[in-house]
Formats: sequence, C-alpha cells, structure tokens
Amino acid sequence: MTAGDLRLVTVNLLGAVEHPALDGSPYRIDRDGRPYVPAGDGGIVLGLELGDSVFALDADHAAPGACLVHADPAARHALAAYACVGNEVRVRTGAAVGARGVVLGKRGEEGRVIAGFAAADLARIRPGDEVSVRARGQGWRPPGLPPEVAVMNLDPGLLSVLPIDLAPAGTGGGAGTETGAQVVAVSVRVIVPSRLAGNGIGRPAAAWDLDLQLPPPGPDGAGDVLLGDLVAVSDLDVRHNMGYRRGWVTVGIAVHGASPLPGHGPGITPLLTGPAAALRADAHAAGHVGLTAAALRLQ
Amino acid sequence: MKVTTNADRLVRQVLAGEIWPPLADRHAYRVGPDGQPFLLPGMGGVTLDVHCGDPATGYASDHLEPGASIRHRDPGANMALQFLTCVGNEVRVVSGPAAGAVGHVIGQHAYVLADFAAAEGPGKSDTAAEGPGKSDTAAEGPGKSDLTTGDAVTVLAVGQGLALPDHPQVVVKNCAPGLLAAMPGGTRPDGRLEVHVAARVPAEAIGAGAGMASEYANTDLMGAYAGLGPDLSLGLEGLRIGDLVALADADHRYGRGYRPGYLTIGVISTGQCMMFGHGPGPSTLLSGPASAFCLVDDVDANLASWLHAEVAP
Repeated sequence: MTAGDLRLVTVNLLGAVEHPALDGSPYRIDRDGRPYVPAGDGGIVLGLELGDSVFALDADHAAPGACLVHADPAARHALAAYACVGNEVRVRTGAAVGARGVVLGKRGEEGRVIAGFAAADLARIRPGDEVSVRARGQGWRPPGLPPEVAVMNLDPGLLSVLPIDLAPAGTGGGAGTETGAQVVAVSVRVIVPSRLAGNGIGRPAAAWDLDLQLPPPGPDGAGDVLLGDLVAVSDLDVRHNMGYRRGWVTVGIAVHGASPLPGHGPGITPLLTGPAAALRADAHAAGHVGLTAAALRLQ
Repeated sequence: MKVTTNADRLVRQVLAGEIWPPLADRHAYRVGPDGQPFLLPGMGGVTLDVHCGDPATGYASDHLEPGASIRHRDPGANMALQFLTCVGNEVRVVSGPAAGAVGHVIGQHAYVLADFAAAEGPGKSDTAAEGPGKSDTAAEGPGKSDLTTGDAVTVLAVGQGLALPDHPQVVVKNCAPGLLAAMPGGTRPDGRLEVHVAARVPAEAIGAGAGMASEYANTDLMGAYAGLGPDLSLGLEGLRIGDLVALADADHRYGRGYRPGYLTIGVISTGQCMMFGHGPGPSTLLSGPASAFCLVDDVDANLASWLHAEVAP
C-alpha cells in the first residue's frame, strides 16, 4: 500500500485574517538601492483578483485576497503546511461571517495562507476575523499520476478545473507511452529556468512559496504572468526542500505579485514536481488558462 | 589589493559575543535531497578539524561552520554584531581556558564565524598542518581545541562603509580593510578592478539565502553535494573553505538577487550540507556590474593565504 492508496483526512484549521506588520523603519530597500514603503505585503488587499497580472500593482508581494495566520508560531506553520490550494474556507466572525472563500496559495517563512473571496465579501472582512480552513490534500495522489511525479498543496477537488492532463494524447496516457512510461501533461503560461528562483529556494515546498525573479512584461504584454496561472520551473525538484536537480520540472500556481526586493518576485505555490520525462509542461504564452474566480465560484 | 579606499575614515568598534551552542529540536532528523533522513553536526559551537584552505565538502556534516560560531545574547545587539562584523576582523577570546587566543572572522552564517589557528593537542587534526597557510599554526599558544560554548569573545569590527572611490559601481560588503589590502589585484590601467578568484559559480547554483540581506548569513551554493548523484552536481565539489569565488549574474549590492550582467565576489565561509537546496556558502565581499571587474583565476585566492598571518584588523 502506498501513500496514494491511503484515505485522506480533512482537518478544520483556524486562521486569523492578518494585519500587515512593519518593524521600526517604514522603509525597505529595492533592488536598485532605493528606499520604499512596502504596501500590500500581507493582510487584506482589495482590488486584486485572479487573472490580474502579477505586475499589476506597485506593491510588495501583494496577494489577491486575505492572508490568514495564527498567533501561535507552531500553529501558524501547521496552518500553512496543511492548507492546500482549492480548500474551502469560511469566515466565522465579524461583518463577513458566513462568507465562503477558497485557498489560492501560501507564503513562506513564518507561514501565510492566501484566501480568495468574492469582492463584496472581501470588502467586509477585517484583520483579526476568524476563518476556518477545511484542509485536505497533503498525502493525496490522483490515480494515473506517474509514479515519479509528486503532487502537493493541491485539494483533490481542484484537479478537474486545472489544465492538468493525466492521459495526454499521443502518449497513451496513464496506460503508458510506446516506451511504457506514464506521462502527465500540464499547460503553463511560461517555463522559467531555475536560475530565476529566488526566496524559497532551499525551503520546504509544503509551507513556503517560491519567488521568481521575473522581468516585467514587454510593452505588448509579452512575458506576462497572471495570478492563478500555472508556471513551470525547469531543473527544480521540490520534494524534499526546493533545490536544483538537472532534468527535473516543477509546476506551481502564481499566488502573489511582484516585489521590489532583490531576490524576490512573483511567487508560486508548487503543485507538481517530477522528472521532465514524466511531467511534461507545455507553455502557452497566449492561450493558457489557469485558476479562475469563475471556476472557484468566487464571483 | 592596490586600490584607493576610504579606510582611514572608517570607525572601529569593540563588539562582544559568545560562542553559541549547536541548536536542535526533539525531532532530530532533517531530510536530504533524495529523501534520506540525516542527523549530522556542523552548525554552532566549535567545529574542529576544518580550516581555511581545507576542502569545503566531503565531511559527514551539515551546514559545516569551521571554527567558532558566535552570537550575542540580546537580539538587537546580536543583529548589530552580525551586520557590523566583517571578514578579516580580529576575534579575541576573553574567557575560559583559551583566553587570549586570537582568530579571524571568515564570514557570517546567522552566526559570526571565526577561525582560529589549530592548536597543539587533542584538537589538532591530521590535515591541519598540511594545507596552504598552515605553517604558522603551531606556535600561537592557546587555540581552538580549548574553546567551547559560552566562552566570551571580543570582535574588533571595522569594514562596513568601506568604499572604492575609483570604482564607484563596485559596492564593498563585509570586508575588513586589512583583508582587502592583503588580497592580490587592484585597480588596472583600464580602470577595472582586478580580483583573484579560486572558482566561478553559475547562477543555477544559488540556493538558500537568495532574497536575504547581504550583511547577514550567506548564500548557500547548490551542486556541491559530495557523493550524491550527477543530476545534482554543478561541478562545485572542489570548493575549499576560504576560497574567493565569483558568482555570475548575482547582484548583492542591496540584498541578494539575480541580475544578468552583474557579478558578486564572496568568500566560502561554510561547507558541506546534506540539506537540499543548501551547500557551501560565500559571504559577500564585492558586488557590481561584471564590466567593472577583471577576474583572474588563481588557486591561491583563499583566506588561508592572508589570515593568521599579518592581516591588520
């Protein structure tokens, strides 16, 4: 019996909507040596939604929704580690009590869960409001996933709404290719070389996002990445911490926007990692559709 | 290094620290690149046997910190100690049986790392007398083998703010003026800064530490997991503790980030890692556009060539 054959458990976790926090100085220093005041780094960010560019706002790590934390550091790490993209969340206190949301991603270091809500609900949420997270997904393996490929941070119910194909045409799919190997194919917005990996490298992918040091898009929008897009990173293995492994691919979902800080940038929460022979990322710069508010019924 | 600096305008500060123990939790094990559990020493306390000039990898160790690992007990004072201490600064032991021993800072790693000459006695390793720069190690009196957790040290901190007026695009970080003066190279007739390096590091190797401040901890290099698979290798298994290295496409002027066309010079201050995404790490010394530098490959570009000799603080 493998981990994939075991029954999943669902755990109700308690999060609190984060308030942004700064230390004694309002300034951080950007990659060109200029001081700036970081806006949007945690807490509730209004007006930013799935499908917006990761470069849409002049902000620092802005995420589309409300960040959830816990006052106890160990409980906060557990909240981040067990929550999975697609998990349902429910506001338990405050003016938005009863509002439904969905986990869109996670952020690292101390640990944050990014929860998306319908805009009208998000506007009623206040820092400190309690939110319940129905966490499930860690330990799950979808049937037909090639054995070399690991999945993480993904609610089983979300698989069908993401462009992840467990039986891609021309490969024989789960039944195997002409060489007998199973392949999973994923549509992504872009495939990024591992040298662009920034903060998050060397950290655990179950509890930490990976910032990508992407350049802003060209004047025609070329090279843009949208929140909710799937993004592949080549030569990156995230099974046991995130690190360089030649011939490997990791696919994650874009969960927060750019940052002026050196070594930081738009972040992905990893979902799939495996050898390139078994995990095929197909870049569709124009036609890619990742996670949308419509698919999550957040409109 | 033959280069004009503002060294005569820098302040010297007396900082205090103590040798800080290794830290663990009750779960004990960490996980390696292929999922292998491990429990290995290396970080914190006093690590004997490994000095500047010795191989950085090949030890049964994780996050190997050569020499003494130093912090201050007060959190704010500790950050000042970590930020203000520079590679090459003098460290003097002021309590315990090794009182009076003098070593030098070789880097930062969330601890200030100080290497002391290997002492005669039980702590002396078989290899310590062989590598470059080791001939002066026997006669210096109290040494590292007598050091332990809790011993107080004094750091004579000087170097932050060091600038090169003739190289305005190059930012100096964490570098004692005495170390800079002892290094070969300097201002060339074409205006570039000549720096000797023992190894060149590709951008793919940058691991944990990306996105952090350049004055704190260091940049772990991946691709140097001695004894593990070729798909993990970036050809960096030959690094030595104390090596000066050039990091391609790395801009460390205001933190550590990827920037094509920039270059960062660092010194390998930590060694062997088993934890994935980690590895031997350089502390940052110089950073700027690649066009501002002229690199010279030099196997002797190692702190062992200059420290424990006559490096002025």
